Amino acid sequence: MLKVEGIHTQYGRIKVLSDVSFEINPGEIVALIGTNGAGKSTFLKTISGLVRPTLGRITFMDQEIQGVAPEKIVLAGIAHVPEGRHVFARQTVLTNLQIGAFIRKDVDEIQKDIERYFKIFPILGERRNQLAGTLSGGEQQMLAIARGLMARPKLLLLDEPSMGLAPFLVNEIFRIIGQLHDQGIAIVLVEQNVKKALKITRRAYVMELGKILYHGDSKELIADDRVRKSYLGET
Amino acid sequence: MPKISKKSAVKFNVISHLAVIAGLAVLPFIIENPYYLGITNLILIYTILCMGLNLILGYTGLLSLGHAAFYGLGGYATAILMTRYGFSFLPALIISGLLALIFGMLLGVPTRKVRGDYFCLLTIAFGEIFRLVAQAWIPFTGGAMGIVGIPIPRIFSWTIRSETDFYYLGLILVVFTYLSLVLLTASRFGRAFVAIREDELAASVMGINTPAYKILAFSIGSFYAGLAGSYLAVYQTTITPSSFRLDESCLMIIMVIVGGMGSLLAPISGVIIMTLATEAFRSLADYRMLIIGVIMVTVLLFRPQGLFGTAAFKD
Repeated sequence: MLKVEGIHTQYGRIKVLSDVSFEINPGEIVALIGTNGAGKSTFLKTISGLVRPTLGRITFMDQEIQGVAPEKIVLAGIAHVPEGRHVFARQTVLTNLQIGAFIRKDVDEIQKDIERYFKIFPILGERRNQLAGTLSGGEQQMLAIARGLMARPKLLLLDEPSMGLAPFLVNEIFRIIGQLHDQGIAIVLVEQNVKKALKITRRAYVMELGKILYHGDSKELIADDRVRKSYLGET
Repeated sequence: MPKISKKSAVKFNVISHLAVIAGLAVLPFIIENPYYLGITNLILIYTILCMGLNLILGYTGLLSLGHAAFYGLGGYATAILMTRYGFSFLPALIISGLLALIFGMLLGVPTRKVRGDYFCLLTIAFGEIFRLVAQAWIPFTGGAMGIVGIPIPRIFSWTIRSETDFYYLGLILVVFTYLSLVLLTASRFGRAFVAIREDELAASVMGINTPAYKILAFSIGSFYAGLAGSYLAVYQTTITPSSFRLDESCLMIIMVIVGGMGSLLAPISGVIIMTLATEAFRSLADYRMLIIGVIMVTVLLFRPQGLFGTAAFKD
């Protein structure tokens, strides 16, 4: 579905990604793990068009999309839920979702989708007329995910969805991610909660200093000594 | 609670709007003194300017300190077209607006790369360049003396001569500005502008072509400034570069901030307060700006979102 081949990305002269390759199949959920500053967010931004790669190729459903403008990538079917939620703070929950459907014109279907996500995220339904900035961190994260889904993507890029959340909310977010996966949406999950990320996925990539260090079966990675030492804090 | 149907809500809205417009239409019969009517006309000009600026600053979050230049572009375009090329007022008005729109588009293009404070500096530079060109290009603009003897405007059989005539012309332009902005901000364009103001990165990943919408907001906002300038030209019958200095751009920003950003009508309160303050303290000459500054700081201390605004100044 999405195939990334040997991309290099840099900010000015600083190289962030070098020779990164990555692949995800339709309906699959894949984890991307790595320490802070490894380049995970930049990797997602390169896919969603916020950053241009200097080299390499990205193909999404037989279409080359490297260096294409972000709005065209959304149209192609990729939604990016950025790190730090980025909700429209002074707009209501409802308006946030409506903006999420910006690329769509099927008004009735949009309304149906909104009602659907109010069922999946009941707290958002209760707070539909509340300003997004007044929601708690967990609620904002749910709003950010729901807003991303409003574009009806085929592929969802989730950047650190559990960051800064209380443990029971982390569980809730992971439960919802599982639910979305069951509905058939392909998901790239960037996470610092390595244990949970490896449990919910079948395959994972480990990124270090802008390179893919290794990738493979999530179960094997959990058992891998290097992963246990570096990311699970075990000795 | 009885449910108000959408249709009756729309009807009510139309009625209340018509009532306000009717009220404004009889105003010249209440204010007969031409001096006060002149101040009212000034308020109308600034209302057009600030509604346009509010689209740029309040809705889209672009700080432009070059609004006076677009105002001036409209003024000079009308003055030159009417005195030299024999244009009548209506085509000159439309061309003035479109010229400001085109220049707004050109100045909007750098928003792709230049953001925030740097964009603001760019608009200051544009404003100063405009003023200097108007001052120096004597054969075309009349230099510091400007252009005098702009003919009395006529629209079909309506000759616009008295303060009352100009009041109605201004009112028509304000109503046009307001209604067109109501339609624009209620559309998906309006939603895109607000999304860009709130969070540009999020707007991008929602599929909003942020560079295009920023250019659009900037050029449409400038279009209204062009109309206001055209009105000023025929109202004053002269046009000089000193009407379009940086102070003027600052004053418009103050009006929008004091009145409140991000809601269509809110800036009008700022326009009225600031225009009246400017007139009332005219005798104080240079100290006037000091008083205006005090008013602005006082309002912002108690209401950071402005008197009637919904969006606070960029935080």
